[in-house]
This record gives sequence, C-alpha cells and structure tokens, in this order.
Amino acid sequence: MQVIVCLKQILDPEMPSGSFHLDPNRKRAVPPPGTPPVLSPFDENALEAALRLKDGQGAKVIAVSLGDKLARAVVKKPLSAGADELVLLEDPEWEDLDHFASARVLAAAIRKIGEFDLILTGRQAADWDAGLVGSALAEELGLGCVTLARKIEVVKDKVRVERVAPDGYEVVEALRPCVVTVDSELGELRQITMPGIFAAKKKPIQEWKPADLKLASPAPARCELVDLYLPKRETVCEIIGGESPEEAALKLADKLLEKCPA
Amino acid sequence: MLLDLNDYRNDMKRCARCSICKWPPLAQMKSWRFSQNCPAISRFNFHAYSGGGRMALGLALAEGKLDEADEELSNIVYRCTACGACDSSCKYNSELEVLWPIYATRARLVGAGCFREEHGPIIESLRREDNPLMKSKSERGRWAEGLDVKDLSKGGQAEVIYHAGCLYSFDPELSKVARETVTLLRSAGVEVGIRGAQESCCGSMAFQLGFQGEFIKFAESNIDDWNALGARKVVTSCACGFGIMKAVYPLLGKKMKFEVVHISQYLDELIREGKLQLSKKIPLRVTYHDPCNLGRKSEEYVPWKGTEKKVLGQLIVREPEKTVHRGWEGVYDPPRDVIRAVPGINFVEMERIREYAWCCGAGGGVKTTMDDFALWTAGERIAEAQSVGAEAIVTACSWCERNLRDAAAAQGKKMQVLDIVELVKQAR
Ligand code: SF4
Ligand code: SF4
Repeated sequence: MQVIVCLKQILDPEMPSGSFHLDPNRKRAVPPPGTPPVLSPFDENALEAALRLKDGQGAKVIAVSLGDKLARAVVKKPLSAGADELVLLEDPEWEDLDHFASARVLAAAIRKIGEFDLILTGRQAADWDAGLVGSALAEELGLGCVTLARKIEVVKDKVRVERVAPDGYEVVEALRPCVVTVDSELGELRQITMPGIFAAKKKPIQEWKPADLKLASPAPARCELVDLYLPKRETVCEIIGGESPEEAALKLADKLLEKCPA
Repeated sequence: MLLDLNDYRNDMKRCARCSICKWPPLAQMKSWRFSQNCPAISRFNFHAYSGGGRMALGLALAEGKLDEADEELSNIVYRCTACGACDSSCKYNSELEVLWPIYATRARLVGAGCFREEHGPIIESLRREDNPLMKSKSERGRWAEGLDVKDLSKGGQAEVIYHAGCLYSFDPELSKVARETVTLLRSAGVEVGIRGAQESCCGSMAFQLGFQGEFIKFAESNIDDWNALGARKVVTSCACGFGIMKAVYPLLGKKMKFEVVHISQYLDELIREGKLQLSKKIPLRVTYHDPCNLGRKSEEYVPWKGTEKKVLGQLIVREPEKTVHRGWEGVYDPPRDVIRAVPGINFVEMERIREYAWCCGAGGGVKTTMDDFALWTAGERIAEAQSVGAEAIVTACSWCERNLRDAAAAQGKKMQVLDIVELVKQAR
C-alpha cells in the first residue's frame, strides 16, 4: 500500500502575539526572528494517520510539501517521524499559491508519483484555515473525498473512516484510492527521536520544479488577497456609579436603553 | 522581540578582527597550556568559530551576503557553547557586544527555519512536556517523592520557592542534589515550597538555541506563576536557570515580584547567619569551576538604544551612556566562601577563573546535540583541575556536573565532581 501525505510549511500559529507583525505593502505576515516556521499541525495529524497505517498493516509513506524557501529542518520532519520518501515542490513561482492553484500543483506531483492507494491532508492549514486544498485535490484527480477523519482503516479495497461530527462521529466508507482530510482528534504526531533523525538522513528526497511536472504556465489564482491587517480592537469603558446598587442598576438600564432603544 | 540581529550591526561592524576574544586577557594568563578561553576556536581552529569570526558572520547575514540555509553555516553557528568568554575578553578594553550578536544570529537563522534538525525534538519536547530532555512531564515532580516539603502544585503559597530545573529533576544521579537542597533549606529553618509536577523549564535552552518565541512563552508563564504563588525569593541550584532569570527575564518587561537567588548565594547567607553549621572535616583538595551562567552570564543585560557620535575623528561617544556588562558582577565569591567554610578543606584555584573561566562544554545545546565537542571541552577543564592537584571539582550547575562527570568517566580520569550542595551536605 502506498500513502501520500501532503504537508504545508506555515508560520507558527502558536508564536507569541507580540512577535507577530505584518508587511502591509506585500500583504503578508513577517516571520519574526527566533520563531521558526512549522508544519501545519493538522497536516501532522495526517502524517500520524499514515504512520499508523504503516505500523498496522504496512505501507510506504511519501510526504509531499509545496512552496518556496522550504526550510529543510521543517519539511524533513516527516522523514524523521517515519515516512519513507519526501517530495519537495519548491519554486519561487509556487510561493503563496491560492488553494486551487496549490491543489493543481499537488495533483500534478501525485500523478507523477503515479502509484497510490490513499492521499491524506490536514483538515485545513493552520495559517489561512480555509480547508479547501484536500477537496480541491480530490476534484483535480477525480477521486472521492472524505473530510475530518479521526480514525482511518483500510479494509480490502475500501477505506473506512470515522468522521468527526458535531455530536460524535459517523463511519464512512470510500473506494480506494481516495483523498481523506484528517482532524486533530486523530491524535498528535509521534515524538521525533534522535535515531529517527539519523535514519532520515539516508532516505530519498526528490526536488521537483514546474518543468518536472510539465506545468507550463503558473496556475491561475482564483482568490485575490485584497487586504491584510490586524483587526483593531477598541474598548471604551465607562464606570456607572450610584449611591446604592439599585441606583447604579437603574442608571445602567437607562444607558442601555439609550444605546439600543427597544 | 529580544533578539534582532540588526540591533548589533554597529557592534559587528566595529569588530577589529583583533582576536583578543580567543584568549583571556594577557594579564590573566598563567601558562601557555591553559591560555585559551574559547572552546570553539580551540577545538576547530578556524577564525569563523571565534567570537570575532561570529561577528563577521552575523554582519554578513544581516547585510544579506550569506545564504541562511547553508549547512556549513549552521555547523559553525552551533559549534559554540554560547559561554560568553569571548564577550568578557573583548570587553576587557572595548564596549562591543559579542555574545548577544551570537544569540541574535541564531534567532535569525531559526526565524528563517534554518535550525539544525536535532534541535527539532528538543523544541518539540519543550512544547509537549515542558522540558528539553524528552521526558514525560508527569514524572517531573518524582525527585521530591517522600520529602517533607510543601508541594505548591497541590495548592497553597510560599515565600521561598525552590526551582529544581530540568536536569536536576530528571537525571537519576543528579536529582539527589535537588533532594539534598530541600533538606538543607528545611534544616536551616527555611519554609520552602516546590512546584512539583507543575514546575517547567526556565526556557534557557530555547533561548540559547535561538528559539526566542518558545523562550518567551516559558519565561512569561514562569514569572506569572511565581508571582501568583506569592514568591518573594525563587531559589535555584541550576546555574543555567539562574543566569537566564537574572540576565534575560527582566527584559520581558513583566513585573517580577520576587528576587532570584542561586543556591550558592543562599547557602553562603545561611552559613554566615549561623543557620547552617558545617562541622565535619573534609580533608579534600578541591577546586571550583565557575559555571558561565552563574558567573559572567548572570549579569543583567541592559540593551542599549540611542545615538552614537564620533569625536576627534575616532572615538565613539554614546548618548545615553551604555551600561557595559563585562562579567565582573557575576556570582563568584559566594560559592568560594561556602567551600572555604567547610572544615579541613584544601581549596585551590584553577588558572582560568571568574569571568575568564573556561566553559565546561555543555552550554548552548552542545551537550544534547554534539556530545563529543562537549566532552572534549570538559576534558580540558579536568586537565586544568588536575594541573593544580585537585582531587575534586566543585561546581554549582547541573549541566556542568553532568558533562564533567561524563568526561571524567569517558576519558578514564580520576576526578570527583561535586555539587556545592553535596559538599555542604557532607560537611554537616
Ligand atoms: S570580537 Fe572583540 S576581541 Fe574579538 S576580534 Fe572582534 S573586536 Fe577583537
Ligand atoms: S561563546 Fe564561548 S564558544 Fe562561543 S565563540 Fe564565544 S568563547 Fe567561543
């Protein structure tokens, strides 16, 4: 069985808020010194799902990352965790692609890989939180898609998925190959160990450019980023006093009525 | 933001490439054999590994002349214990920052994702388990099992809180020191509390490796917790924790309602006040190893911002005046006074001491990721201790102890390594 996992490098969503700032002209967040990029945590859940399949019934796990200036210490993490191969799709042309363009490039890479039984992605990337790439990828490849998995089993020619629902979970089956997007309920990626890191140094890494995927033109963007800003939060505080609590309450009620007339 | 390489551009530009940072000041040298001060340049013998070389490298990075992702660059940057000896030597007759540009270079690389893969699990362990040792946080308070001490993780407050630190908490050999510390404090009448399973890393390792974002999270939450627990004194036996709490925590701008005290200072005070009496004779010839983070690196760092003017065509005058920390204000005398208070002890100094002390080799993440370099550096220190006829090295830091003990064992050297607390305990 061959499982492909797509993992995105993003700015650390847990960075201290004080170190976060935006470049308004380039409309992007500026990476602060001392806070490295990370793999999107949901994509790490997807990798964990793949590694559990590998542990359980044996599978070859191929990790794929797409972008520009991919930090090697970050994107090689799947190999240290136990993935067998890494495919890096890295090119200035692929910096800041929108969701649909990303799905198009990933689909081209997956077609080039050729053989696969299952494609896993996180339920969404923890930077834009759109949650589109998984489904768009399934569309590009003409495959079925199950979202929000909390458990994945492969049973004969089918994939059985426990899918997170608002009040529990539902069990869904889909024919292989298909795309499954993974939720955090599946569990955190296992801890990376030093032996894992040393073992990863011998694992194959492929680096593909647009020409390798025979993608002639840059993928057309379907989303335009119009503006990017930190929301302004203004708090106006007025202390309403009174001789007694009753008087203060009356004044408060009057004030509220004045602001929002019935 | 604490570490921005651009803040040090002028310092890095003014580095004269004089190489003074590779040696203790001439007036302090006692022999050719022990005349070097920088483990990195002594071991790798290429200018880029020295303080001055690191200034050139940081400047090239700040000016965009170097590719951050270069593997060899990362080798050079991290083969350095961040011991600060270069900084103290350079400042013998200058006012340049050397150590902070070294930190800022790392933070710059980390921000660009160009850290070493081996650092990944350390940071991950900090995020998941609140320690850099890949140990489960549920086991953190185990060192104190059975001790008569107030465990604040179960509620309550305490004016004096003992922070054991990660290595004293988890290292089976060293956790004895944490137990003995609590017992000593209790016997001297100190009502001490511990945070048990809720204690977390001081963030020092994250800071030294350049993971500033992670460091800030730990530092801020420690300050909040100690304030909330009513602490007036936070006592630690880990020099790394002490150094970071004294030198860097205050820069975060949070009110620290407590004083940070190293156990060597506290023991010294308790002995002076007669609350701890040492009566047993210990006829041992010992020397003292200054942990970098208790010595030169524990001085509070005051970042300078202002204008620089050149007068008489060459002298730089700063407006406002710069606070220069040369390592002089580190904690040097209290541990020595404690040793001298032990009856029958024969205390001898090594050649490189106080702000010019040779590092044990464990700092800056080197022990965890490049143990061979760490052991080589410790071996040099043991040789120095042997050269003055010491039978034991007394020190006051878990990382120094671990590394010196490992080196003595690996190199088959006969040298006891004692924590200052163990020495006091033996003399009771
Ligand atoms: S860092 Fe200081 S001592 Fe070292 S070369 Fe530069 S100016 Fe000289
Ligand atoms: S911090 Fe220590 S190891 Fe690093 S360059 Fe300076 S003296 Fe050498």
